[in-house]
Amino acid sequence: MDRKLSEQSTAVLGMDLHSFTYLDNHAAVLHDIQLDVHPGSLTVIAGHSGSGKSTIGAILAGLLPRHGMDELIGSIKVDETQIEFSSSSTPRIDVAQWAKHVGLLPQDSGHYLSGIRGTVAEELAFCLENAGMPREQMLQRVNDLAQKLYLEHLLERHPQQLSGGQERLVALASLAMSEPDVLVLDEPLAGLDKRATQVVSAMIDLLRANGTALVVLVDSVGIWAEDADDLWRLNQGTLHRVSAAELLQRTAPSLHHRPVAIDAQILLELDTVQLSYPGSSGPAVRNVNLQLRAGECLGLAGANGSGKTTVLKAIAGLLKPNAGTLTLSGESGLLLQNSSDQLFERTVLREVSFGIPKKSSGRDRVPEVLAQLGLESYAQTHPYELPASARRLVALATVLIHEPQILLLDEPTEALDEAGEAVLQEVIASVLDRGGAVALSTHDETFMNRVTRRVIQIGQS
Amino acid sequence: MSRTISLHPFTILAVAVAVITVTTAASQWWLSCTVIGLCLLISGWAGDLKKLAVLSGAMLLPTFLSLLLIHGLISRDPAPAIAQWGPMRITVHGLEVALSLGLRTAVLVVVGLLCGLLIDKHQLVAAIDLSPVPPQLGYLLAATLFLLPQMGEKQHQIGEAQQLRKVGIGRGIIGWFQRVRLRAVPLVLASMQDAQDRAVHLSARGFPASGPRTRLRTVPDSSVQRGIRWAALVCAVLGPVLILAITLVGSQ
Amino acid sequence: MSSNLLLPEETSSQTLRRRIMAIAGTVILVATYITLITTQPMGIVEGLGQGVALGTFAAYLVAAILLLLAVLSDLPVSTLTLIPVALVLNIILGQFVGSVMIPLYIDSIGTVIVGFLAGRRAGAATGVLSTLVWSLFAPTVLPFAAGAALVGFLAGTAARFGALRRIYLAPIAGVIAGVLVGVVSSPVATFVYGGTSGVGTGALVAAFSSMGDSLLSAVTKQALISDPGDKAVVFLVAAILVYALPKRLSGSFAFVRRYSVLGKRVSK
Repeated sequence: MDRKLSEQSTAVLGMDLHSFTYLDNHAAVLHDIQLDVHPGSLTVIAGHSGSGKSTIGAILAGLLPRHGMDELIGSIKVDETQIEFSSSSTPRIDVAQWAKHVGLLPQDSGHYLSGIRGTVAEELAFCLENAGMPREQMLQRVNDLAQKLYLEHLLERHPQQLSGGQERLVALASLAMSEPDVLVLDEPLAGLDKRATQVVSAMIDLLRANGTALVVLVDSVGIWAEDADDLWRLNQGTLHRVSAAELLQRTAPSLHHRPVAIDAQILLELDTVQLSYPGSSGPAVRNVNLQLRAGECLGLAGANGSGKTTVLKAIAGLLKPNAGTLTLSGESGLLLQNSSDQLFERTVLREVSFGIPKKSSGRDRVPEVLAQLGLESYAQTHPYELPASARRLVALATVLIHEPQILLLDEPTEALDEAGEAVLQEVIASVLDRGGAVALSTHDETFMNRVTRRVIQIGQS
Repeated sequence: MSRTISLHPFTILAVAVAVITVTTAASQWWLSCTVIGLCLLISGWAGDLKKLAVLSGAMLLPTFLSLLLIHGLISRDPAPAIAQWGPMRITVHGLEVALSLGLRTAVLVVVGLLCGLLIDKHQLVAAIDLSPVPPQLGYLLAATLFLLPQMGEKQHQIGEAQQLRKVGIGRGIIGWFQRVRLRAVPLVLASMQDAQDRAVHLSARGFPASGPRTRLRTVPDSSVQRGIRWAALVCAVLGPVLILAITLVGSQ
Repeated sequence: MSSNLLLPEETSSQTLRRRIMAIAGTVILVATYITLITTQPMGIVEGLGQGVALGTFAAYLVAAILLLLAVLSDLPVSTLTLIPVALVLNIILGQFVGSVMIPLYIDSIGTVIVGFLAGRRAGAATGVLSTLVWSLFAPTVLPFAAGAALVGFLAGTAARFGALRRIYLAPIAGVIAGVLVGVVSSPVATFVYGGTSGVGTGALVAAFSSMGDSLLSAVTKQALISDPGDKAVVFLVAAILVYALPKRLSGSFAFVRRYSVLGKRVSK
């Protein structure tokens, strides 16, 4: 062990993992992984949703294995301390101490925030408060950090009223507060629009320039490839070193757009539609005009809060327009943005077939839809035990099972990994092929350009 | 426009406790009515009059009706009844008992609700955090108050999503059960998963604190307020004792 | 190996203080209850009536708070984050379910879920906290904190002895819990509020009272009609909700694994 230590002496964080197994699982999720993180370096680990990259992140941050539940065999070295894990003994880790060396930004950065503080400044100070730092000193630290990371404009804001990008900035700053040597970032840029991506990556660059080592866990390597000191692919539970060229996949092919016949049936028409939510003072959107013909895929664009979701909800029949006309021929089906929250059955199969009478043609279509979405192998799994991407596809399956003529998608790429996006693209193509139509809203410009022929702006008069 | 009082939350609570115990012990209709009137005045000043009136009305109306049923309409007082019909027997004394009990509850409800409206929730949490109670208490209170609107919103979203699934809902007890299941299960699943995910990060941020803890937020306090708090607490305990002693002596 | 990254094995240094608080809370509760039952103070508004009301209110509240403080610092963080969710579920599901079925209150589903998953201490703490938080919106519930603690405690006890291993056992456990809770809470309704706060329950009390019962026994009989039914529904709904949880989630509670709370359901 001494020899090993001297070898790793420059690393701030080292992992020599033989195997990691979750509670009640027989198969190891991760095995045979050696990883060293050097000061100020950038390590990128790429893997699809469900590959176990969040598990690696949690192990590096000391959050796993949970004492007396999961089994880790191997050792982890943090700040010159080597901690041995074996099947017979799992040491009880002091996560608060560990977090002073290694911090983890979870995939849903909102989970990092305490959720109990009234201002961003208080949120930033949360870990200092728990450590009992005197108030004056705390105030100083918060102000210094906010200045360094250009966050002063957010300090008095309410943490729960931040946009997705701002929330991630605040979570990153809260992590930086305890000045860890290593930051593990789980999908730090996923789900952000172009501007937010710039702001968040600027802060990440800033942190790295200050000497913090970064471990970034991503689905697609994208912008990280050039800078990375270490590039890994996580596959079949273990890490493989790869070069940037190998990981930079060719971009997915665009949807093959067949021209929409000029006389194709109009499935949906909105004429000067105005929508408002019950109980709110003003209309949410006004003067929306659009036409959707069979075989067409339409994109709805607009800033946050411009009313894209509202329009989709109105088409799906959740809201009645209070002015204008909305004509629909054929059934519509809407995939909501946070649709995985609606799942409630104990298995994927039961979830998708819920409410469909036995011995109807719909029942026969269940396996078909599952196969189309690549979910066959998950039929007997609890939806909440699926990776996020697959869970989103289950929600999509509950919409597709009704064979809607008009498929409505609200931020469909959210939570999807690359493979999931490819499946989604095929689904859209198949709806168009059978004479249906698709309307979708997304902030993901590449996806928007790939699948839609026509984009209309919502919320601009 | 709502105004808030910049008093320490514990001062408001201590005064409220004293007012409730003394008024309850005194049990004089004019005192109770004065206290309720004062509360309404204060809430009017703070801009919450309508809220206070609606909330306390919703709580007190069924209470009054119930007390009227129990004590007023079916009095077992030996005094002659004013009206009698079958098992119903109305006596003046019975009505007095019902009214007196109703006012007792009314004082508690109105003063309590006024406290809830006047105290800034963040300040209350900070005050609890800065007091020597276990750190978990402040967290639990704060987390609940923050979660309440969030989970209400989530519940609404789940309702919409289920509406979209075009699930044929049966009638009667089975339909009711199905509706509850469709709404409740996703809410419980999503929120419990969320709670589970948050827990590890909370402990990574050093919660709950093992040693002394501090707060960035300050809760303005003064020696006058501390004095008021002590006086109010002494009043809350000794006031009723004195009043009851005097009543006892007076009645003998 | 530097030890500052690791936690020391659990110590029992502060357990004595907590145990004293738990015992004190229980003693106060039991003593108050027995005093009220045996003396049955006459007159709820005249003479010492006001004193009895204040005393009962204070004793039940203090007992509940002592019990809360006794268990609070023992709870693991995963239970701590669960409790606020349970409190909100008490309120939201209570409104949703309650709006359909009028005669029951259904305000303790979250408390019972915590009892089922995290054991009786956590359940009792949730009950008390639920009452404390709810009192910000409805001050009259404060003295019922002890009853709410009992609900959570009994839910945990029932789960420990296998009430969740078969679905039909849950409502049976609920009925038993309802009887105990009804009996313990009736003195509060009687001596603090002089009756009940709902019209339906009030009518029941009035009916018993007109048949010659004392107020305490009328309120207790009313509670014995409402509470077991209420708790049976609550325990059943809570059990169904717990069954719906993924194994990964329910299995992460040490209490569930230790006492094999879900029996074979987990291995499914």
